[in-house]
Amino acid sequence: MARKQTRVSGRMLFTWFMLAGFICLFAPQNITDKFQFTFARIFRWPLRLGRNISLFAHTQQPLTDVVSRRQYNQLQNRADNLIETLIEGRRRYKKLYGLYNSYVWDDVEFVLAGVITASTAGPSCELVINCGQDSGLAKGQFVLADNSIIGTVSDVFSHGARVKLITSSTSNIPVKVGKLRAVMKGNGDSSAKIELAKHKVKVGDSVYAVRRPGLLDSAMKVGTVAKCQSSDQHPLLWDITVEPACDIEKISDVAVIIMNPKK
Amino acid sequence: MRWLRFAVLILFVTILQAGLLADMDVKPDLLLILLVFFAIHCNISEAIIASFTVGFAADIIGLTMGPQIISFGLFGTLLAYLHRVVTIRKMPYQALAIFVVGFLTGLLVNLLTFLKAEPTVPYAVLFCTSLYSSLVGPFLFLPSAWWMRIKTQRFSRY
Repeated sequence: MARKQTRVSGRMLFTWFMLAGFICLFAPQNITDKFQFTFARIFRWPLRLGRNISLFAHTQQPLTDVVSRRQYNQLQNRADNLIETLIEGRRRYKKLYGLYNSYVWDDVEFVLAGVITASTAGPSCELVINCGQDSGLAKGQFVLADNSIIGTVSDVFSHGARVKLITSSTSNIPVKVGKLRAVMKGNGDSSAKIELAKHKVKVGDSVYAVRRPGLLDSAMKVGTVAKCQSSDQHPLLWDITVEPACDIEKISDVAVIIMNPKK
Repeated sequence: MRWLRFAVLILFVTILQAGLLADMDVKPDLLLILLVFFAIHCNISEAIIASFTVGFAADIIGLTMGPQIISFGLFGTLLAYLHRVVTIRKMPYQALAIFVVGFLTGLLVNLLTFLKAEPTVPYAVLFCTSLYSSLVGPFLFLPSAWWMRIKTQRFSRY
């Protein structure tokens, strides 16, 4: 008899407790929060003590990587000198070409060169600049003006070099426009083109020269899309006309990118 | 059942869980261990009361009230009924029981918490907590039994 009563009592207990649980579950949050806040308020001292012990245990880390005060000062002075050198270097870059703010140029040297002659029309659009092998220039290096790529070094002499502009009809530079990757060729005038592109791009989109190990560490702007129209030969493909990002005719100075310069 | 001792034990473990263990990334759920302990060492009525009380304590230090009362109560009661059929005496079985109950209560808590549009516990954390509790739990049964004056060698079925 007693055993039977226990069973019934157990079921009833379970039912009542479940009901209480669901009441708690669906009761408004501001009411149920009072239980939690009351508990936290009443037992704040032991709770805080436990938390402090836990924090203390977490912060007691053994010090392994320590140096002497003298060594620390030496390192600090060296760091300060390096920071000052960096600031000075950035100031120079900012003054000259505004290239200071791009961290990808850490292992890059820019050789500043003046333009001797410029030919911006006809099949061979090119510049002749006053820096050559003696300044570390080599064939294939990218040339910048106004923070954009205008061409590549095509011939190098001892004290000068020839730069093939992106508008030259013999220029072929791998580029990307959005998700499109293609080769951009010069038109022989003041523009370039991407032929038979697989999908359309918007006029005004930026065109970037893609990264080339040893020559260019990061994609860099070469121009903007001036026109995008379906190809006459293949109506499903697109011909894109690209305008250079800077006015090449008015360039007086350029910077040649030398990756990993010999020190 | 010595209810005063039970209340002191629950209070102590709740404070321990909310204070000392609160900052640990992965921690054993001491209240879950107590739930399994009382479910397999008490008779049905006591186990039901203990399960819901432990669930209430877990909710008091949790995010929201309700989910753990229901899930702890439900699975504690189920385990107590199961214990009438299968004796969970050896430590590996106790560890397995803690792991299974921990994971199932966690799943139900997540479901109920989701219904209240509150953030749920990631399943990886749930798994790790259950595993950790199952590894630690059987060893905490002995001091719990000592405190509650329960003889662990004798198992009575009601």
